[in-house]
Amino acid sequence: MLTLKAPLFVAAAIACSAFGTPFGAEAKPAGVLTVAIIGEPPSLDVMSTTVDLVSTISQHIFETLYTFDAQWKPTPLLAAAPPVISDDGKVYLIKLRKDVKFHDGATMTVADVQASLERWMKTSPRGKQVAAILDSLSAPDDSTIRIALKQNYAPLMSLLAFNNGAAVVMPKALATNEGPLKEFIGTGPFKLLEHKPDQYIRLAAFADYTSAPGAASGYAGKREAEVEELRFVVTPNAVTRVDSVLSGQVLYADSLPTEMLGRLKGQDTVKPVIIKPFAWPFMIMNNKSALTGNVDLRRAMQSALSLPDMLMAAFGDPQFFAVKGPFYDKDTPFFSEAGARGAADPKKAADLLKKAGYKGQPIRIMTSTQYDFLYKMSLVAQQNLQDAGFTVDLQVLDWATLVQRRNDPNAWDALFTFHTFVPEPSLITILNPTYAGWWDTPEKNQALAVFNGEPDPAKRAAAWGQLQAVFFDQVPTIKVGDFYSLAAASSKLTGLVAAPWPFFWNVSVKP
Amino acid sequence: MMTYVVRRLLSMVVVMALVALVVFIVARVVPGDPAAVMLGSSATQSDVDALRRQLGLDQPLITQFAMFVRDILTGNLGTSIFLNQPVLDAIAGRAQLTLLLAGMSITISVLIGLPVGIISAVKRGTALDQGVIGGAMLAASLPSFWVGLTLIEYLAVKVHWFPVSGFGPPGASLWEHIYHLVLPSIALGLPNSAIIIRFTRSSMLDVLGDDYIRTARAKGLGLGAVVIKHALRNALIPILTVIGLTLAVLIGGTIVTETVFGLPGAGNLIVSAVLRRDYPVIQGALLIISGIYVCINLVIDLLYAVVDPRVRY
Repeated sequence: MLTLKAPLFVAAAIACSAFGTPFGAEAKPAGVLTVAIIGEPPSLDVMSTTVDLVSTISQHIFETLYTFDAQWKPTPLLAAAPPVISDDGKVYLIKLRKDVKFHDGATMTVADVQASLERWMKTSPRGKQVAAILDSLSAPDDSTIRIALKQNYAPLMSLLAFNNGAAVVMPKALATNEGPLKEFIGTGPFKLLEHKPDQYIRLAAFADYTSAPGAASGYAGKREAEVEELRFVVTPNAVTRVDSVLSGQVLYADSLPTEMLGRLKGQDTVKPVIIKPFAWPFMIMNNKSALTGNVDLRRAMQSALSLPDMLMAAFGDPQFFAVKGPFYDKDTPFFSEAGARGAADPKKAADLLKKAGYKGQPIRIMTSTQYDFLYKMSLVAQQNLQDAGFTVDLQVLDWATLVQRRNDPNAWDALFTFHTFVPEPSLITILNPTYAGWWDTPEKNQALAVFNGEPDPAKRAAAWGQLQAVFFDQVPTIKVGDFYSLAAASSKLTGLVAAPWPFFWNVSVKP
Repeated sequence: MMTYVVRRLLSMVVVMALVALVVFIVARVVPGDPAAVMLGSSATQSDVDALRRQLGLDQPLITQFAMFVRDILTGNLGTSIFLNQPVLDAIAGRAQLTLLLAGMSITISVLIGLPVGIISAVKRGTALDQGVIGGAMLAASLPSFWVGLTLIEYLAVKVHWFPVSGFGPPGASLWEHIYHLVLPSIALGLPNSAIIIRFTRSSMLDVLGDDYIRTARAKGLGLGAVVIKHALRNALIPILTVIGLTLAVLIGGTIVTETVFGLPGAGNLIVSAVLRRDYPVIQGALLIISGIYVCINLVIDLLYAVVDPRVRY
């Protein structure tokens, strides 16, 4: 029998459904997703630093005009569509999405985008590359940004899409403030809730977030905050990160040593996540040095090194590395095998050493135990080089010292480091002649100019092949191979995609 | 006594001034650049130089030192290059954890060390005594990181009795903080209890061999009264010294345990600052810790006078 309460109940239900919920018809975000990270980020200002940890965290708060899909192609994010590019390749017109909200409730305007890009070009190492060739930056109407360049510059789209040293959009009032960023207001699916240095960074789901359209693919497409809170917990010790995820105290543990794989396999509650691509170990040569400035000596070193042995010593498990010359894999836009070298050749090394006129001077090689894998591969390299007749002075330094000494061309001849995977070759730091290593030859500059100036993607891939061939021929740096990273994820997580800068939108926590 | 205290406090100023000078020089002489660490490996030299100018690191050393001294004299320990917050705030933010951990650890050390050391001394030469000596040697030999990892494996990962790491979730109560510090306190307290056992046993043995103890026993005083009321009080001075030094080390130097348990304490702050070349934090934190060391030593010295009426300043 119907009572008075029934009509009231029905009316209330209709009223609630008319208002809807802030998250629309989908379920409200629920739960806390805890992520154990390797350390405290130097800042949350993703424009000012290229530290990867900052990108991992900040990409949830801030967004760029474009981003990369699963095939590493730049795809609209805050932009409404791909840019309209002039015939001469120098002018880009970018239409912006409408009704995008900042975390403070304001709506994103073209003035915010322009101010953000200006800040990016002043503060970001990536943005400064664009600033060097910028003619003008303007807003011809209230939903279009116009970027005019002095020359054709094909990497622009990738630079606008990259989440590292990123061209993120923030309110004009923040972008025009001098000095370090003190407030972190973006358009991302999460907003900053609390930051306790050396403890945690808490992000809360942003109720008024509007996602880019399209199915999720890589970093592109639909983004949705499916958890109420995303919490990055600073846990410097790798064993503690593993224990935390095994015990369920955290749901994702980042950057684990590869030897932890054994502890993660066969567990019901946790599964290992192998992230590929991840990074390239490099032995950077000092092209200004009296020794390694000699191309024959560098070629001799390249021929002397057994890259498979170096990688095996560094990572131990073939699941975590590949002995691979080309920078990019087969199913990606920039795959090319041009110039890739073969196996070690001791006889060739000896001939080249003679040709170089080497008289036994010590080759100063810097390495660090901060990254265990670099240290291990440097020990193998030292042995390989000594077997080939080199005198090696292996200098084991702490990371801060290595990074400082790296900038003094008189202090070293070679150094071990690694380069995180970048989807756009022009972002590889050693291509920059002012970057430590100082690779600056006419052939390279010519090949780089052709590569950067080519607007046609297919021809650009071929141009990259030619630049890669110059790289392998001149040996400004030895690419040791590829290596992959290990992380661990709780079985309670659904929707997780393995990525070099892990992201947690579209990820939910099963109760 | 008051004159003694004032004299000691004045000498503390001299000690801290020397610490400030040494730390300033050593931090800057060691290679490494905080600007390069902050910007990441993809930054160019011009990016690093720009940040150095912004942070004032391009100033001559003597100018930087003068600014440092001026700041100290006004009670300002500077701003962390890396954390972008006042050094005092960074230290204060870790004070609760560090003091709690130190307090819990020293309590465990004393609660185990003192009674076991006394019993071992009283039962000298017996199997119990031998067992205690062997056990203390074992406990002192165990690295605290191994103890910590073992406790985590069995009490946190396998049976979930305790959390693996951290100081508690946001908004945690004091009891939740204490709960998170149980395993780290055991990891620290156990090896330190071994040191207290050895010192207590040794000091008690010295005293128990004295004539007045033999006289007290001969006059019919019970063993308990002799040991606790007479012997212990006279044996306390070296024991207090080692407890004080242990406490001082716990406040400033538990980086290994803090790293294993993911605790953002003072040790973690200093070591991270050294690795990042965060000069203001290195200087400020070491100044404060050296001050704490001096104060603890002063308190221990004053306690001597409480424990032993023959000691007068």
